[in-house]
Amino acid sequence: MNTIPLLLYLAAGIVYAAHFVTRNVTVGRSGTALLAVGALGHTFVIGMQTMAAGHVPIAGTTQAISTFVWLLALAYLYMEMTTEERALGVFIVPLLVALQLIRALNPTVEKRVPILESLWFGVHVASLLFAYASFALACVVGITYVLLFKEIKAKHLGFFYTRLPSLDSLDLMNARTVTLGWVFLTVGVVVGTIWATQARNGPVFDLRVQAMSLADPKILGAVICWSVYSFALYARRLGWGGKRAAYLSAIGFAIVLFNFVPVGYFLTRSHNFGG
Amino acid sequence: MHLLLLGVSHRTAPVDVRERLDFATRGLSDALLALATRPSASETVVLSTCNRAELYVACEDVSTARQELIGFLGEYHGLDPAALDPHLYEQTDAAAATHLFRVAAGLDSLVVGEPQILGQVKEAYSVAAEQRTVGPVMNKLFPWSFTVGKRVRTETGLSEGAVSVSFAATSLARKIFGDLKGRTVLVIGAGEMGKLTAQHLKGQGVERMFITSRTFAHATALAESIGGTPLPWQDLSTSLAHADIVITATGSTLPILARPQVEGVMRTRRNRPLFMIDIALPRDVDPAVGDLEAVFLYNIDDLQAIVQENLTRRAAEVTRAEDIVGDEVKKFEAWLSTRGAIPTLVALRQRFDAIRRAELERLQPKLAGLPPDARGRVEEVTRLIVEKLLITPTEQLKSIPDPERVRTYADALTRLFALDAEEPARGEPGRGPAAHRAADAGKSVTP
Repeated sequence: MNTIPLLLYLAAGIVYAAHFVTRNVTVGRSGTALLAVGALGHTFVIGMQTMAAGHVPIAGTTQAISTFVWLLALAYLYMEMTTEERALGVFIVPLLVALQLIRALNPTVEKRVPILESLWFGVHVASLLFAYASFALACVVGITYVLLFKEIKAKHLGFFYTRLPSLDSLDLMNARTVTLGWVFLTVGVVVGTIWATQARNGPVFDLRVQAMSLADPKILGAVICWSVYSFALYARRLGWGGKRAAYLSAIGFAIVLFNFVPVGYFLTRSHNFGG
Repeated sequence: MHLLLLGVSHRTAPVDVRERLDFATRGLSDALLALATRPSASETVVLSTCNRAELYVACEDVSTARQELIGFLGEYHGLDPAALDPHLYEQTDAAAATHLFRVAAGLDSLVVGEPQILGQVKEAYSVAAEQRTVGPVMNKLFPWSFTVGKRVRTETGLSEGAVSVSFAATSLARKIFGDLKGRTVLVIGAGEMGKLTAQHLKGQGVERMFITSRTFAHATALAESIGGTPLPWQDLSTSLAHADIVITATGSTLPILARPQVEGVMRTRRNRPLFMIDIALPRDVDPAVGDLEAVFLYNIDDLQAIVQENLTRRAAEVTRAEDIVGDEVKKFEAWLSTRGAIPTLVALRQRFDAIRRAELERLQPKLAGLPPDARGRVEEVTRLIVEKLLITPTEQLKSIPDPERVRTYADALTRLFALDAEEPARGEPGRGPAAHRAADAGKSVTP
């Protein structure tokens, strides 16, 4: 079932790439349409899985990745609608494809363990996934900023110059997405701490919850992410906009992605509750 | 019906001839009304720009219309028609359509791909439509040319990239800052190039513009002419800190902006991007300034290189644009050729209808006994039979793309149904204005 959105995202990615090269409006619209159909199909898949399991599939890393992909697709589509700008699709959609591939290879929805049956947990994961989606957008916008910046600086106005929006728009998009992501990240971390404290002292004993501490790579990673993005926001006030802000958001998202996938699968003792 | 184009352009006539043939001075409406008095042209559109003056007409007889148009040009502008002749070009039918499509696409412009021409073609048509000097041919041809112009602009890179130094600078500014409305421009020096670039930026929405020059009076004069604020030379560093775009165009022989000075300014600006356009020769800004982060420094050579690159890129797109024009002309030609069949189709319809009415009249005594609604139904049925009989020949004839074959078929129909044997008293079907009007409305020939 998870293969359907994967294939649609893949098709959208190819069309977005074609649009980026040819700049044909119709091709661009087809890319958007395919992505929208992909996101719709993904909504259906997640909806079916929610109904089958009785809860939103976000407990395990693989399930959370798929939900993240879905949120990112929706967030990107929203951004496209509000900015009338589809040049960034060629950078975002491959990320959707790569991450959804992980889900398609491991499609099972595991039953949620009793310790996770808490509203706090749902808010914790949902906030973080929103934050990650925002940071992914910020990263892509940041990368495109640097590419365009370098072209203008080097006076070789070519590929990106004719395809990307202005530096100012990209910088503004970067600032907005980082701010939004930071708010969700903060909420996610705070709510997660509250939930962990409650769960640790609650009636259900779970070794993973007991193992939660700042020393756990996943939690440490989240704190580092929070610090990087907090610094990015503060640095903007000091005049660190443009290229430096773009680099910071790229570094931030690299940490997010590392913390989300390899750390989530292999290194954490406290943060893997499912498939 | 034929399409005829007669005109002059920058390719055939020097500027003094074009100036004298300019229709814009007295207004296009005036020219159209004057042209409408000529009997040979049933439809007219006048296209007048600084680079061309063209008359597009739909006519039955090309040579008569040509003579009339040359006479009109001479009379209207007070020129000797014989003196005009060497500068004039003329095209008919598909060639005329090709010319208009090329014009609308920007292929015939002085600067290939320039965007203004499409608007001017639209304006020409719109004025003609207001004056009701257009008919079915122009109503098809001109909107078609807009489509061609748009297709060429969206499907090729013919109109892409700035092709003048000041426009290249403005495009760069837009790529850096997006909307230029809230941006501040500082012009250093009061030279002509600086003025031109500043005017371009103003045209793009810049509202705050400061001008400084070693001679305050020069700054004031330029500020007055472009609508900016003059600043004393001593305020240069302070104003640099607030500007987003700086245009330097002084006559100084030494750089007026050195790296340490701009470095200090960038700190005050908290590294906000600064776009510096140095169009002075010798240069006003030390090239090392360009190494500073967030400073985009472009000099006259950089901008000229961009212009040259864009011109080369446009030239490479010409073939693709010509292909689009060729493709569209073929379609237009097919449409035009079907118009040749319209008089025959009108005549055929009239012949069928005459037979129908004659038969109904003959049956009148027998029908008299029927109730009125039954009589009406008989009338309706006979009319429908005629309409249905005409559907196939009409569609077949209209689908033939080759004008020669259309003529052959039309001749065959004329002979087979003796369409030309009608008494002159009843009027030759399809040749008179009424038949044309009916044909144009598409009512008589499209069952």
